[in-house]
Amino acid sequence: MTSAPTPRIELAGVTKRFGSRQVLAGIDLAVAPGESLVIIGGSGTGKSVMLKCILGLIPIDAGSIRVDGQEVAGLKGAALDAHRTRIGMLFQGGALFDSLPVWRNISFALPGSAAERKAAAIDNLARVGLGPEVADLKPAELSGGMQKRVALARAIAARPPIIFFDEPTAGLDPITAAVINNLIRTLVTDLKITALTITHDMASVRHIADRVAMLHGGKIIWQGPLASLDGCDNAHVRQFITGSAEGPIQMPGARA
Amino acid sequence: MIGVLVAIGVPVLAALASIGRLTRFAIRALTRMAQPPWYPAQVAQQMLSIGWLSLPVVGLTAIFTGSALAQQIFIGGSRFNAASTVPAVTVIGVVRELGPVLGGLMVAGRVASAMAAELGTMRVTEQIDALVTLRTDPFRWLVGPRILAAVLVMPFLVLVSNALGVMGGWLLATQRLGFNSAQYLATTARYLEWDDVISSLVKAAVFGFFIALMGCYHGYHSGGGAAGVGKATTNAVVSSFILILLSNLIITVIVFGS
Ligand SMILES: Nc1ncnc2c1ncn2[C@@H]1O[C@H](COP(=O)(O)OP(=O)(O)OP(=O)(O)O)[C@@H](O)[C@H]1O
Ligand SMILES: [Mg+2]
Repeated sequence: MTSAPTPRIELAGVTKRFGSRQVLAGIDLAVAPGESLVIIGGSGTGKSVMLKCILGLIPIDAGSIRVDGQEVAGLKGAALDAHRTRIGMLFQGGALFDSLPVWRNISFALPGSAAERKAAAIDNLARVGLGPEVADLKPAELSGGMQKRVALARAIAARPPIIFFDEPTAGLDPITAAVINNLIRTLVTDLKITALTITHDMASVRHIADRVAMLHGGKIIWQGPLASLDGCDNAHVRQFITGSAEGPIQMPGARA
Repeated sequence: MIGVLVAIGVPVLAALASIGRLTRFAIRALTRMAQPPWYPAQVAQQMLSIGWLSLPVVGLTAIFTGSALAQQIFIGGSRFNAASTVPAVTVIGVVRELGPVLGGLMVAGRVASAMAAELGTMRVTEQIDALVTLRTDPFRWLVGPRILAAVLVMPFLVLVSNALGVMGGWLLATQRLGFNSAQYLATTARYLEWDDVISSLVKAAVFGFFIALMGCYHGYHSGGGAAGVGKATTNAVVSSFILILLSNLIITVIVFGS
């Protein structure tokens, strides 16, 4: 008898409502160790909320979230810290600490002396295509795209086995975006991390993903390997990847 | 009838709920502060920004108010041939009430608002979420150092406020009202009691606690966007004003009322 390996991340029937708004309505999703899953979906469908639920930042209403087989909901104290140690997170808005210089942001959770931590920060800056001269600046002194890359450097700095990227290439020029896509792909292929990426950027999807899942109406309505994305006959997915205004997904206020 | 009950009940319940939430927040802050990890550098930085940078505004307020107080006591006292009470009443009024209360209100205006704006911005830009994912407790990293720094620094600010308030009275009395400087100071010293000074410092520490608590509480629970942060800032200032005035009354009644 063979059994499938324990998924690194497993969501079953996860629901979450804010007031009268049912944002997640029964999410079922599994991510295998070393896999890169990209989540696509319209704005406001709850993609960021889903990542925060997995991190234990937002409590879920019902269902189960397991990371390496361990239920996230009841975690407290040291166990919760251990859970979060395993996950790096790039927030959609960067979420850099604006009272601290760049290098202290990147090395915030790293151990060691100040000199070691600064060296590690500069190392990670290089990986996202930024020079050491940025290290002593405050986040407010950086452009939006640079802030995003510093936030990315912070997410990968501790070399966690799982990393969440919430729109890693939004607001970047195409060349920098390609550098970031390469970086994420390298992390998955060479360092065997498990990556969960949210993006609207189809070039990014094609570069990063092993598998793609689409979130719509609070549920995962389609998932499959990257290769099956283009041949997929799901009308929602087709509309999303072709970026068409015509289709089953209607924007409130938009009319034909 | 039911309409009346609902009209009264809803705001009362809402008030009770927010008192409960605030109490939970305060207890959480205090218990987390008692356990490591501690961040002394954060405390030092807050002491600097609360204490040192509040000195000018607290000092000016004290001088102006002490002078005005001396002038009014002189006018009022003259009606009863009691103009000589100016130094005694000024020192009692300043040390027992005006020094701590006005110092507290000025610091609240500066500091509670700044804390609420900073923590509120950190909340809406997900910096607090980021702290948590980097395994740093916002109560130990943000809230605790602010409360500790405010409680430690406020007594010093109020000492300065008291001294400058008395000095303001002395300046006006000697320069405008014709008091003899040495006599004025001697009377001041005779009427200055240790109990007054101690109650003044206790008030200061209590006010410091409420200022930082309100700044942090409203900032931490700030709603979305710039409007949410603005509302948090206003609420922090208004609620810390009310708590300062209320706790001042309670302490005054307990210490001096019997
Ligand atoms: N803390 C919160 N309190 C209340 N509502 C929230 C909260 N966080 C998110 N929401 C709501 O949940 C819904 C989904 O938000 P989310 O940020 O997950 O969207 P998203 O899919 O990431 O969108 P985008 O692609 O624009 O980033 C939105 O309607 C949002 O208003
Ligand atoms: Mg999002």
